[in-house]
Amino acid sequence: MDPNLQLMLYVIPVLVGLLMILPLGRSIFAPLSETLPSLGNERGRVFSGLILTCIAGMAVSFQTLWISSKISEGGNFCASNSILSCDDVIGNAEYNVDPIFGIPWGGIGAVVNCILLYLVYSSSKEPNAGWVPSYLKIGTYITFAGFFVIGLLVYYEFQMAKICQYCTTAHFANIVAFIGFLRLRRMNDTKEWNEL
Amino acid sequence: MKYTYDDEADVRTTALIRVMALFFVGIMIIAATTSPIATGTKEGERAPTLEGKFYNGSAWTEFDFESYWDSEWKEGDISGQWVAVEFMDTDCPYCVKSAEEMGVNANDFGGGNSGWDGAIVNFIASVTELDIGGHDSSRDEMKAFRNKIADSGEECANSDCGSRPGAAHNFPYIDDLDQENMKKWKVGGTPSYYLIQPDGIIAWSSAEHPGQELRDAIISLVPRESA
Repeated sequence: MDPNLQLMLYVIPVLVGLLMILPLGRSIFAPLSETLPSLGNERGRVFSGLILTCIAGMAVSFQTLWISSKISEGGNFCASNSILSCDDVIGNAEYNVDPIFGIPWGGIGAVVNCILLYLVYSSSKEPNAGWVPSYLKIGTYITFAGFFVIGLLVYYEFQMAKICQYCTTAHFANIVAFIGFLRLRRMNDTKEWNEL
Repeated sequence: MKYTYDDEADVRTTALIRVMALFFVGIMIIAATTSPIATGTKEGERAPTLEGKFYNGSAWTEFDFESYWDSEWKEGDISGQWVAVEFMDTDCPYCVKSAEEMGVNANDFGGGNSGWDGAIVNFIASVTELDIGGHDSSRDEMKAFRNKIADSGEECANSDCGSRPGAAHNFPYIDDLDQENMKKWKVGGTPSYYLIQPDGIIAWSSAEHPGQELRDAIISLVPRESA
């Protein structure tokens, strides 16, 4: 399968997740609330959008980890002469691991998205538990910290004059997740949280 | 009373188990479908890239290290071309001394010698400028050293570059005066040698075999028809 087409497997869920998280998702997903009752209220819709985003973020991070492993074997996945060439970015030994522990960025992304998924999934299952506000706060901090990592990785891409579309999708998922956690935190402080 | 479902169980445990299961499925898929090789300069690792402009006797152009690799190459395949990399400094006395040997090796194993029935070995020199007093190099000095140009005004290790031992070299010289490649390869000193398989994996490095010559490594590791 064409790598750019395969990328849509991750881009589309993140975009759908974003629509669910944003207020405009109310009108878009209202018709589905009869079959999927959780989409009938703001809290349930944002939780669903966030879960979808974190799963897609985790999956695309695993895919980048897989690509870096394949490249290290000598193969290629999405090499291109154009500016969009994830092989050049993920395969660059100088930039494809974190500068402190030497862990591949894809692996870090998978672990972080896994933690975010745990935070949001457990919160969605018991939204009125005492630990939910702190889970939402942790989620917001983690995704906010992700902005610094994104900044560093975008700087690397500038250095290489190449863009890794898979990495960009993972960055986008982090931004969407940040918006989702922020919305849930704000909602958690209001009466809207228990409006069903 | 028999409980079939524990309503009181903490949802966090269930969520953790489910998310961890998803994570391990991802890890298992990667483990089952790939065999990653680390990038580095030890034997068995994938050689890092070499960057910069290179001189091949006519002009300085961008060096493309990737073009040397053949990912389909299998061990023992004689058609694959090997690569020998030398990290050197034109002002380092040992590098000047070994220039003759490098030239002879390049001629013997580079494909132009009918007496060698093994795979072709391409030679590359990455030329740096060590941070030692008196080591002032330049592209002109590299050209004078490579082409063995007499009376060029360039000095290599306090002698005329044209008076270095051996004949002129016919392999590419990469400009690494900023030491970028040397640092990336973690080269401790010059001259340092690496022999790389056609698939880009380092087969031999002089740092791991003190006292062994590059020539001996080529003879023992590069596949030959007669072997």
